[in-house]
Amino acid sequence: MASSRDDFIIAIRSAFLKKSTQQKFSLLTLVFFSLIIVILSSLDFKVIRYSKAVINELVYRSSFIVSVPENFIKDSFIQVKDYTTFFNKYKKNTAELESLKSNYVSNEITEYENRELKELINDYVSSSNKILAKIIVDHDSPFLKSIIINKGSKDNIRIGTNIYDQSYLVGRVIEVNYKTSRVLLLSDLNSNVPVTIAPQNIQAIVTGSGGDNGKIKYIKSGLSDQLIDDSIVYTSGTGAIFKSGVPIGKLKSYEKNSTNEYKVEFYSDFSQLKYVFAEIITQTNILQTAQETNDDNVDKNNPLDAKLKILEDELSIIEESNKKFQKENENLKSEINNLNYKVLSLNNEISSQNRTISQFNLDTEELKFLRLNLTYGHKCRKSLFNNKGFIVGSPEYKNCVLRKGKIDG
Amino acid sequence: MVSLRTKGSFLKLYSWLPILILYISVLNEFDFNYLNLEYFSFNFPFILIFFFTLKDFKHFDYILVFIAGLFNDTVVGLPLGLSSLSYTLICIATAYLRNITIRPNPMKDWFYFLFIISLINSLNYSILTLFFSFDLILMNYLVNTFFTFSFYIIFVSLFKYYLKGLND
Repeated sequence: MASSRDDFIIAIRSAFLKKSTQQKFSLLTLVFFSLIIVILSSLDFKVIRYSKAVINELVYRSSFIVSVPENFIKDSFIQVKDYTTFFNKYKKNTAELESLKSNYVSNEITEYENRELKELINDYVSSSNKILAKIIVDHDSPFLKSIIINKGSKDNIRIGTNIYDQSYLVGRVIEVNYKTSRVLLLSDLNSNVPVTIAPQNIQAIVTGSGGDNGKIKYIKSGLSDQLIDDSIVYTSGTGAIFKSGVPIGKLKSYEKNSTNEYKVEFYSDFSQLKYVFAEIITQTNILQTAQETNDDNVDKNNPLDAKLKILEDELSIIEESNKKFQKENENLKSEINNLNYKVLSLNNEISSQNRTISQFNLDTEELKFLRLNLTYGHKCRKSLFNNKGFIVGSPEYKNCVLRKGKIDG
Repeated sequence: MVSLRTKGSFLKLYSWLPILILYISVLNEFDFNYLNLEYFSFNFPFILIFFFTLKDFKHFDYILVFIAGLFNDTVVGLPLGLSSLSYTLICIATAYLRNITIRPNPMKDWFYFLFIISLINSLNYSILTLFFSFDLILMNYLVNTFFTFSFYIIFVSLFKYYLKGLND
């Protein structure tokens, strides 16, 4: 018994401490190193942060290069898949484009109005600038859903910067290096987004499922009955982590343990992302504080300038919408003229046709009279033996012929 | 002379191939996610490290394995040092198995591998959830462990061919 325990201890000690001829470090040393690194990386020291950033930069670039062959295979696979569904997609896109075009004008006006109102509420003018970022690493780990983009603190990316695919929200930045950043996708289990569900106007939190969808969490009890399929989920802006009004996905119901559950189908397909937009927001206060400047005139002028700016913006919105309406009016006028011209030409055509018809009727009556005249003319004609007859060519004669020779009406 | 030199450099590259593949696999994070197989994943570095450290392969330096772990953490986004710890623990487990084994048995190795990866994945899961407050799906870990265990035997046969080629 004691001997077997000794053997175990010897084997363990040997495994931990014994270095083979080629090994430079014992495994015990490496375990200690690992533990120290794990503990240090959880602490937020400046030195550790910078060294981590350097390691990240190097590893992300290397990973991008190493991933080239696999990405090539992946892209080829997706391309082949796309070609098979190309025509159906084209038809669907054409129909969608038509409907989008019709909504475009009114949306643009609403957008301008919204922006103006938000600026008024927040008391600052926020100007956002979306920069294009390339995804350099998108290894879809089964445990963590994140991507690496090629923009970092050099490009004003901060922790929390919102990331978009077109105008759809994709996630937010959780780690920033000098020229790269890590983006936590909405599908990650650790992602929580405050949202509004329209048209019911219900507030909720969407969290990632670890798969391709999101889950509705923290919804007020009783409100879940109001949810319906295809409701639109967009950011509510609560907590100021995400910008408000950004579309995320659509609501879909499914059965789970005989209860109705809801999931969010994201508009954007995170596995197909190649480029994304990072929104850099810069805020300029409208109301400057008195401490910031001693000049009273400047104090008075700044709010005035801001208001003037808002009014100018308003004016430009109105002008722009007026231009659109004018353009639309002109189009409508030319359309009316065209239609009037068409109506006129159609009227002319109708009258000429009417004339032809009446002529045709006249000719038909004349023909009928001539035919009957041949047969019954002698009965109606006034002659030596027929005193009751009529003079040829008179209306009475014609009537008599049409009545087939009957003289008495 | 030239052919001998070429042959020499090729042999050198061939003998460093396992460590090279380890680095490629941690940097590339082999996945087949575009196949849209739900839950499907396996941990290739675990198989590679287990096999080659068990065979005490001379070019499979522990420090290089340790650094590969750091790379893996950076790519996947795990706390730095966690994968290094996992990889080092595999090395310890294989060193222990080597010490206590007189007559190697592939089946015993295979089930020992299952025990070790289950232990390490449990440790990872516990550390991430308890100390780093990560939200994780346990099912993913279980499926990952299952597929890693299943694929071990396939990869082992390939690695044996490699070793045979090297000895020849």
